[in-house]
Parts: sequence; C-alpha cells; structure tokens
Amino acid sequence: MSDKPAPEGAAPESPGKGELNRRDLLVKAGQVGAGAVAAGALAGSAKAGPSRGQAPVPTGGRVTWALEQDPVHIAPFGATLTSNHWGKAPMYESLIEWDSQLNQRPALAESWKVVDKRTVDFTLRRGVRFHNGKELTAADAKYSFDLMENPPVPGSPVVKLSGYVAVESTEVRSRYVLRVKLKNSDARLFGHLAWNRYTPIVPEGMYQQVNAGRQGIGTGPFRLLEYQPNSHVEYERNQRYWKKGRPYLDALTMKVLPDEQARIAALRSNAIDGGTFNADSASVLGRDRNLKVLKGGTAAFRELQFTIKKGENKPWHDKRVRQAVNFAINRQEIINKVYGGNGRYSGHVPPGYGPWPLSQDELKSKYLKFDLPKAQALMRAAGQSRGFSVTLTTFSTPLDFAQVASVMKQQLKRINIDVNIVAQEPGTFGSANGRGAFDWDLTARGMRGDVDGYLAEFNPSAAIFNVWYPEYRNVRVWRLVGNGKIQLDQAKRIPMYKEAQRLLLEDLVQVPLVAVTKFQVVRKRVNNMYVAFSDFNTGLHTSVYVKG
Amino acid sequence: MLGYIVKRTLLLLPTLFGVSVGIFLMVRLLPGDIIDILLGGDITASEEVKQEAREQLGLTGSYPEQYWNWISGAVRGDFGDSLRNAEPVSTILRDSLPITLELVFLALLIAVVVGVPLGVISAARRDSARDYASRLGGLIGVSVPNFWLATLLLLFTSKVFGWVPPLTYISPRDDLLGNLSQFILPALSISVFTLAIVMRMVRATMLEVLGQDYVRTARAKGVARRRVVYRHALRNALIPVVTVVGFEVGVLMSGAAIVEIIFGLPGVGNQLLQAIFNRDYPMIQATTLLIAIIFIGFNLIVDVLYGFLDPRISAET
Repeated sequence: MSDKPAPEGAAPESPGKGELNRRDLLVKAGQVGAGAVAAGALAGSAKAGPSRGQAPVPTGGRVTWALEQDPVHIAPFGATLTSNHWGKAPMYESLIEWDSQLNQRPALAESWKVVDKRTVDFTLRRGVRFHNGKELTAADAKYSFDLMENPPVPGSPVVKLSGYVAVESTEVRSRYVLRVKLKNSDARLFGHLAWNRYTPIVPEGMYQQVNAGRQGIGTGPFRLLEYQPNSHVEYERNQRYWKKGRPYLDALTMKVLPDEQARIAALRSNAIDGGTFNADSASVLGRDRNLKVLKGGTAAFRELQFTIKKGENKPWHDKRVRQAVNFAINRQEIINKVYGGNGRYSGHVPPGYGPWPLSQDELKSKYLKFDLPKAQALMRAAGQSRGFSVTLTTFSTPLDFAQVASVMKQQLKRINIDVNIVAQEPGTFGSANGRGAFDWDLTARGMRGDVDGYLAEFNPSAAIFNVWYPEYRNVRVWRLVGNGKIQLDQAKRIPMYKEAQRLLLEDLVQVPLVAVTKFQVVRKRVNNMYVAFSDFNTGLHTSVYVKG
Repeated sequence: MLGYIVKRTLLLLPTLFGVSVGIFLMVRLLPGDIIDILLGGDITASEEVKQEAREQLGLTGSYPEQYWNWISGAVRGDFGDSLRNAEPVSTILRDSLPITLELVFLALLIAVVVGVPLGVISAARRDSARDYASRLGGLIGVSVPNFWLATLLLLFTSKVFGWVPPLTYISPRDDLLGNLSQFILPALSISVFTLAIVMRMVRATMLEVLGQDYVRTARAKGVARRRVVYRHALRNALIPVVTVVGFEVGVLMSGAAIVEIIFGLPGVGNQLLQAIFNRDYPMIQATTLLIAIIFIGFNLIVDVLYGFLDPRISAET
C-alpha cells in the first residue's frame, strides 16, 4: 500500500515498534463505549533517532526545496490550495497524524476515547509547547476547532469543518482533555484530523496576535521565520519540538519556482536541493550523477465523467454504452504513451489509499479490462453500433489531460464514438464542471481525509449528485455509501466501501482511468525524502537529513 | 508649451476612464469566479454557503455598483483587498512594483546603451560586414520570444557555469551587486526585442538623416566624419527613437510578466498572472490598471519630450 521508497538507512518515518497500523487503530477507535483507546500508549511517540546498530543521523544543515506554486497565504484554516499546505505544513500539527504509509498515529493527542457514537474525548500530550513558548492545552484545541468551522480571512468561508465531518460542538473537559460532540456517528473524524489539511491546532488568540496569512504559531518541527508571497517561505528548527531529536535539519527554505525549466536549472546549479518534476524532466535529471530521482503514487487519478440529466436522453444514459466506453479504453496504452510507463490502474478509490481500494489484479482482470469485442457487442446491444459524436472537455494544463484525451479519442473511434476534445483553462473548466455544464469531462480527483470523500458524490445527499447525474439510480450504492460514513467499526466498513466500488464499476457514471506517478528529484546530499501519497512534502518535515 | 502639457494631461482622463471600464468588464467576463476555484477538489458547499461567500467577498450587487465601489476606492488609493490572501492590494503592489520597474529600467538601459551605438555603426558603415551582422542580430532579436530566451539563458548558465541568479529577491539597498546579478539575466531576456527595435530604428533614421543636405554641407565644410555622425546626425535621428522607447515600456512590462515567473521574481507581472489564475478580481483590476497607467504615463512623457525636442509639434497642437 505504500508509495514510499525503501528507507535509506536511518530513522525513517515508517511506523515504529508497537505502532498501530491505520486499520488497527480505527478498529479500536470504533469500539463504541469500549473504554479508553490508549493509542498513545500503544503507539508511542515517533522514533527519535536511529535504531540500535545504525549509524547516527547527521543533524544540521539547510534544505532548499522548490515549490511549483505559491502558497498564496499560509493561514491554518480555510485554505483550499494544496500549495497553501505546502507552505504552512512544517509549522502546524493536528491531534492525529499519518505516517508515510497512511497509518494513523497519535500526534498532539496522545490518546482518545470513543465515549459513545457521538462523543470522542481527546487527551492531549503534556508538555508540548507552541513556537511562542506557550504550553498546548485543551483551550487551544477548542479555539482551533471553532476556527475550523468558521475560518477567518484569509481562509475561505466555504471551507467549513462541518463540510467534512458532522462536528456539533467541542468542550474543554480539563486542561488536557477536549471533548468533540458529533451530530451523528461519523467515521470521517479521525482521517480528517490525520490529514491535517484543515485541522491544525494553534494557540488560543493567535489571530489576534499575528497576521495569519503571512505568519503563524504552531507546534510543528519548524518555526516560521518569513513568508514572502511569490518568493519563498523560510523556516528554522523548532528547538523545543516534542519529538525528541527531530527535525534533523536546522533550516528549511521553500522557494516558489513555477517554471519547470527554472527548477531544472536551479537544481543543476545546486541553488535548490530538490523539487517536483514531470516524468520527462525526471528522466533527464536522473542521468546526472549528483541527483537522484524519487517516484511514487499519489491520490491524483484521472477519470472520465458523464452527466446524466433528466430529459436529455444522451446515448451514455444507457449503462451499456458507458460499459462499452470503459472496455474500449486501453489504460495500459495511456500509461505507456502519456506517462512513459509510470502509472497504475485506478478504481474510484486510488491505489495506495490504505486498505480501501480494489486490488490491481481485480481491476485489470475484471472491471477495467481492455476488451474491444465486448465493447463493440455492448454498443450493438444498446443500438449504438453506428456510434455518436460527443464533446469531451478537459484541462488545458497540466498537459497530460489533453494527451490522455487524445489517446482516448483514438481508442473510442474503434467503437464509432467521435470525440471532440476541448481543452479549457482550469478556472473555466472548474466553473463548467461545478455547474454540470458538460457532456463528458476528463478530470481528476485528489487526496481525501477519509474514503468517504471519494464516494460521497454517488449518494443523492451530496449536492453535486443532483448537478451531475440526478438520473442515476442504484439504491445499493446509496445505502452502502450512506451507511459507510457512520459505521465506526473499520472491519465492517472496509467491505462496504469495496462493494460500493464494485457496483460503481458496473454502473460507471464515472470511469476511473489511471493513477499517475509523481516524480521528485533531489541532490545526493538529501537523504530519507520520499514522495508522499498525500501530495504534500511530508518527508521534509521530520525525515530528511543532509549528508555531504 | 505649458498649455500643450496641460492639454495632453487632460486627455489622459477619458483614456483612463475607458481603460478602467474595459478592465472591469473583461475581468467579469472571465468564465467562473473565485468561488469555483475555491470549490475545487474535495470541498462541497451548498448554494447558500456559496452565495454567503460571494457576499463576503463583495461579488454581489450590480456591475455599475461594483464598478463604482472599485473606482471610487481606487481614486483614493484603496484598491480593496486580495480575495485570496485578504491583504490590501495596494500593499502587495507597493512590494512588487519596484521589482518590475527595476527590471524594465534595466532592460531599457541595455536596449538603449547597446541598441543605439549598433544602429549608428550599422548606418555609418552601411553594407559592411558590421552592418550585416547588426541587421542579422536585429532580425533574430525581434524574432526570439523572450520566455524562450530566458529559459535558454537559465539552462545555459546552470549547465556551463553551474550558476543561476539568486533565488530570493535582493534589494539594491541591501546588496547592489547581488541585486544586479539577480536581474541581469531577466533584464537581458526581455531587452533583446526592444534592443533590436531600437537598433533598426536608429539605423533607418540615421540613414535618412545622413542623406540630408545639412549633413552633406557639414562634410563639405571639412567637419570630421565622426563629429558629423554623432553631433549633427544622431541628435536629429534620436527624435523618433524616443517615441519608440516610450512605447516599448509597455512591451517590456508585458514581457516582464512571464520572465518574472521563470526567474521567480515577485514582481507585478508575476502577481498579475497568479491573480488571473485565481480569479482574484481586485488584484487583476489594480495590477492591470497600474500597468495601463504606467504605459499611458510614458506616452505622456514621450509626447512632452517630443514637444521639447521638436517645438513644431507643440506649436501645431
């Protein structure tokens, strides 16, 4: 399940002895009324140094990392861009965290207890200090939860915690215990906290003390020195960090370099230590003996999306046509031609997302198998053997979208579907997609805090359902998705979501295509970096050390 | 002359009004708004929440109402707050404008300092090897896209010298040499087109002037060739060049946008492109208006200078 390369020697971020994996932890967390889940005691803190017998990890030094996009702001709450998170992540932490394998483990909460299916008590780690020296308490956590629901500017007012998790209220039970009351049972809480994208813990009153768009106070491994929009983010080591011995680096600089060629030039001249590159650039840079290429899957997968609206009677309203499209698409050809052989088949949950996705074998042998005769037979059965014309809209950038569309156009010609490709600027595309103003869209999905984030849109309770496919009916899918998010027992939850995925791969109101591989190139001196599945640069925070 | 200046300045007002209306409408005609951008990815929100967000961001109300709110603030120097990071747009521009102006100034300096002598040499040595070399260089200069040249320069210096300009902005007040080393490549990249234009313009006007009777007379009187070229011919040949240089400021400003991104300089052009992608209306409007004002301002300066250089113009007007 991991996309992390093998550890390069010392103290990786992988779970240590006694740590729980994601499934175990959630199973325990789901034992309603079973008493305390002393996750902290079971999991322990992150390993502070190398294991016995390993060489000591060199400490100190600075890493300069290139960002492809400006963070725009680094406010902890209500940020919508992934680059917001790149910029702020080194200084903020949440109650729970993911390790590099997406296993949940205690972070600022050393344990939690599911009191009943609507109540969870989080016990905070003692002695944790914010960058301003103040000790972390439950009052800080409550303040943070309040702001998660109502993000102050420059956060976006549309990004509310209640949009992800049914949190009703929070209550300070004692100096170190925060009670979270849910409107109803909601299994998504833990994943969203671990993701930390929208749930950092900040000191009470922080917004009155600093300009949260450019400054910040957290508990994370690095303390912010400066953020200059469109230029750089500068961090120094947090000397009081609660994970003893971490981070290994003294300083971390993130330089905004949107131009790929500029990043290549900067890397070659040692002006930066690493960054993200496309497959072609990574291949070229890989020939430089001073550089090393890291690659791994991320949650981003490409998919074909239809609208199924009342009164339109389009050919693809017939499930057999959608299935024909699915069987006519040769995903391996897309991976080979567009992604240089780097990529994986994806269902509605991307491969690598914990225990939730269907296996590659199952996808390849059954649901996403390239089978042209079957596709042609399905078109005949649907009375569409002469085919039809359709407009496929996609993003103009990144370029791979149009390239995937071109390969698909050729493939679908074999079942007489004439695809007219329209590539749009991302803002234009997003607007039309959000309004359901399209026939076919070639789009993408990204990281989610909980598996429900990938499947919720197939349930009529989601607002977007009625925009995209109000005519789609499958009560079994609706029930599985609806019940899945309130089922706290992970052991029961996993088969529910797998069954929902299998049903969706027969209904195909969305046709998942391929999960793309992300490439990062670093200088040889940078050790222990990895491509994080979450699309964040998590390795920089506590894993990376420099040598030489 | 004063009347001429006042008249030209007053003519700016309707131009600026037209520009501001154009900018306002163009921004509104972009498909999608910031709410669509904010709602990308995993975020779901009801129509009520979206409407509430639009109200908070000041995106409701009729266009005339929105225009009035914007332009009345702009006149007072208040361009509103960025929709993405809530900072006053005027603060963002205050930080980024000096970077772009320095870039444009250096590019203009390179273009003039190199372009004028090349044009003069090319005209004075017509049909010589130097003339052909200059003309060929000029042709290449007007044909090469600045973003391509910028990328090429960056890759070349990194590959050959293992050097790229400093990645973090260095103020000239802190370290002048560091600042210049940071700006030399981007300035060179955007200057090439203007340099070629200036060179070709100087060459053409010099050839025309060198054929005039007064030049021939001066030579017949025994004035040295060098003195005739630089004292008599060049001064008159430079008048149309002033116009070209003024117009080229606009070209350089637009070229700066892409080059700033390539070199990671947080200038106005960089801000503008990010704002367009983010549908950050106040940022787009203020930045575009600022660029338009600079462009119009330089045209005014050119007009006034022209009046000084050639008194017939102000007299006719």
